[in-house]
Amino acid sequence: MSKTSIEIKQGIKLHCIKTDKYKTDITCIIITTPLKRDTVTKNALIPFMLRRGSKKLPSQYLISKEMENLYGASFNCGIDKMGDNVVLKFYIESINTEYVLNNEDILKETLETLLDVVFNPLKNNGLLNEEFLSIEKESLRKVIESKIDDKDTYAFDRCISAMYGENGYGIYKYGYIEDLDNINIKELSDYYNYLIQNSKIDIFVSGNVNENRIIELLKLNENIKKLKPRIENYVLNNEYTESKKIVEKVNEVTENMNVTQGKLVLGLDIVSNIENLQAISMVYNAILGDGANSMMFQNVREKESLAYSAKSTLVKQKLNIFIRCGIQIENYEKALEIIKLQLENIKKGEFSEEDILNAKTYLISGLKNVYEEQDSEIVYYIGQEIAKTNKTFEEYLKEIEKVSKEDVINLANQINLNTVYFLRN
Amino acid sequence: MQIIENNKIKEKLYIEKLENGLTIIVMPKKTRKKYIVWSANFGSIDNKFYSQGESDLTIVPDGIAHYLEHKLFEQENGKNSLDVLTSIGVEANAYTTNDHTAYLYECTDNFDEALEEFMNYVQHPYFTDENVEKERGIIEQEIMMYDDYPEWAVYMNAMKAMYKNNGINIDVAGTKETIAKIDKEKLYKIYNSFYYPNNMVIVVAGDFNTNEILEKIKSKVVLKSKEDVKRVYNEEPKEIVKKYVEKEMNISMPILLIGYKDNNLEENKVRKNIAIEILSTILFSKSTDFFKNLYESGKVTTNPVINYEFSKTFSHLLIQVQTNFIEEVMKAIDMQIENVKKNGITDEDFYRAQKSVYGNYVKDYNDVSNIATIIVSDYFKNINSFDYFEEFKSINKLYVEKILKELFVEEEKIISVIKPIKE
Repeated sequence: MSKTSIEIKQGIKLHCIKTDKYKTDITCIIITTPLKRDTVTKNALIPFMLRRGSKKLPSQYLISKEMENLYGASFNCGIDKMGDNVVLKFYIESINTEYVLNNEDILKETLETLLDVVFNPLKNNGLLNEEFLSIEKESLRKVIESKIDDKDTYAFDRCISAMYGENGYGIYKYGYIEDLDNINIKELSDYYNYLIQNSKIDIFVSGNVNENRIIELLKLNENIKKLKPRIENYVLNNEYTESKKIVEKVNEVTENMNVTQGKLVLGLDIVSNIENLQAISMVYNAILGDGANSMMFQNVREKESLAYSAKSTLVKQKLNIFIRCGIQIENYEKALEIIKLQLENIKKGEFSEEDILNAKTYLISGLKNVYEEQDSEIVYYIGQEIAKTNKTFEEYLKEIEKVSKEDVINLANQINLNTVYFLRN
Repeated sequence: MQIIENNKIKEKLYIEKLENGLTIIVMPKKTRKKYIVWSANFGSIDNKFYSQGESDLTIVPDGIAHYLEHKLFEQENGKNSLDVLTSIGVEANAYTTNDHTAYLYECTDNFDEALEEFMNYVQHPYFTDENVEKERGIIEQEIMMYDDYPEWAVYMNAMKAMYKNNGINIDVAGTKETIAKIDKEKLYKIYNSFYYPNNMVIVVAGDFNTNEILEKIKSKVVLKSKEDVKRVYNEEPKEIVKKYVEKEMNISMPILLIGYKDNNLEENKVRKNIAIEILSTILFSKSTDFFKNLYESGKVTTNPVINYEFSKTFSHLLIQVQTNFIEEVMKAIDMQIENVKKNGITDEDFYRAQKSVYGNYVKDYNDVSNIATIIVSDYFKNINSFDYFEEFKSINKLYVEKILKELFVEEEKIISVIKPIKE
């Protein structure tokens, strides 16, 4: 595997990941922009509008036909929150030319189709196609409403909004229903034009591909020619830029819904700027709740039989840890008490050198796995792009390996409970 | 050793059957990630049987195969193999389906070290009253977690509407009530009745020297072959149980699932499966006028998906879509099926669908974990996974039209709906 990145124009990068591990190629366009309350809904509406048709393929039915003809290539869009940014992802996964039946040049087709869909949308009088707008507002409204369908993710999102409100990281990535009525086609088209001319754009091509040929294809592409150099507008946030205040009182939020199982989420703040903070936070989180050897799994699940799923998640960009488990509603107090005890135990150093070792082994093998999955590898590199780090695997490895028990105890004493959220009936 | 090769996807399978009857399948692949899965042909539907050498019928509580899957990690030395495997950096897991139970791990390093632990724990059950009791609360929470998944509820309700006696109509994990009856004696009983080598398969995929890995595995196998357990399945009537079932849950939009019970278990399943996948594209994909009409009138946001499920004892087809307009969408689906039945499939649609399905089969061979999972699941259905590529050429339009006419029969249709709770 080799990765090369080149800047095609200021603010627009091409990343080629050359690998022969997969039978598929992925082409992917990522647009990164700050997460803002006043633009988030418009931003979320963009992929819904774009997937409806481009100048070359003016309807989604034609796009689908094209994908079916390209051996069932799959075209998808997604929206992700990365720290205080929101990223729009457009990607096509297609089989590599080596496996086609009639020597078709699939990659050229998919790359050009993707560029066309994202940068050359179907327009009327210079605006995005108004005919699509009302249906796509409805589609987005349904997506926003569907956040209650997956109770685990819902509880996680609710805990985050309880901590941040409707600012930055607390904003819901798909936006808000109350914004929808006021979005008109002129405003949306202006936003789109602003977005593609001012955002950070990353184009990824992964697979058994020839990078020089990709560069050639991009240089000749009319849609790329239309894009201007730009000063990337996004929020750099990572362990060095994020700072937290100690909360005075733990915020307790309970929400009622018709559920069988209660979902408990604890939001923690990492209030620290110690050296090697990211790696220490990762080790801390692994000991606390990441993997089968963690305190959450061993105590909340194995010892007390309180939960099937008991884990914690580190959000590196925001220096937060979220403890999550699904429990019987009557066991709320007991679960909370046991979780709090685990937090105290780490603070007091009541864990062994073996726990540290297990945590490191777990993290390192997870990191190695990233390079073994075509899509996670791309997500990993986007993360690096947005955090402006260029750490190699070896550098990560070293940082994790040098974390000591003292480091973890020290950090544990700089971690505070911010919010306890409980979804119950 | 049997070697089968496929020149389309450029992969080979090495199949070895040991003297004790254990089948080992190796798929060498130049990736850093390695994957192994050991599976027993014992699933949630196997709850009545005559154990080897016994003349009394044994009936076990629903969910016991899954309970055993949870408990097999427990070791006599007081350790839990899941913890041991995790601590050497491999990702270990297990799952239970209706017809098999599988234990697995994947890793980039320490494969051999892990193999020692892995081969040991699968072959050495250690159940005590305490460790069996301890698991009950955990599995109860797993069941409750599924109870809140609308997709799971719509599916289970469909199975109950479709099947009277086949065990596919019970939850793989059982219920709070049935798992209350599980104890260590019952777990030993099912382990001893079903976990014998001639009822099991091991699949490994990754960068292996075939002979070396075969030898390593062979040297660690201690289970002895047994005569086959006699499974008893109640006869399943051809008819469905009920036409319509609905439930209210806290969701944003109703989910509609249409099921067709398929009583023709004799037809070649690979050919049928390919035909159904081609049909799925022709009938309901995003390129169809059917979808265009529903989408532009705001009735659906995504297209219905067809899922064909089968084992040795059942076979059915499911069409699922989320919509606020259940009646209209049901009608549109029926009409689309009738139209294609009546007017036939155009050549253009057929070839496009065929290409698309072929590409998806190729994509299946990207990842070692996915490959091994497919091979295991096919194995217990007596299917050689590469047959999908071999049979592909022989599937023509006429055959697909024949399947369309045979499968979508009104009398065998059921409807399962999950509706949002009324405020």
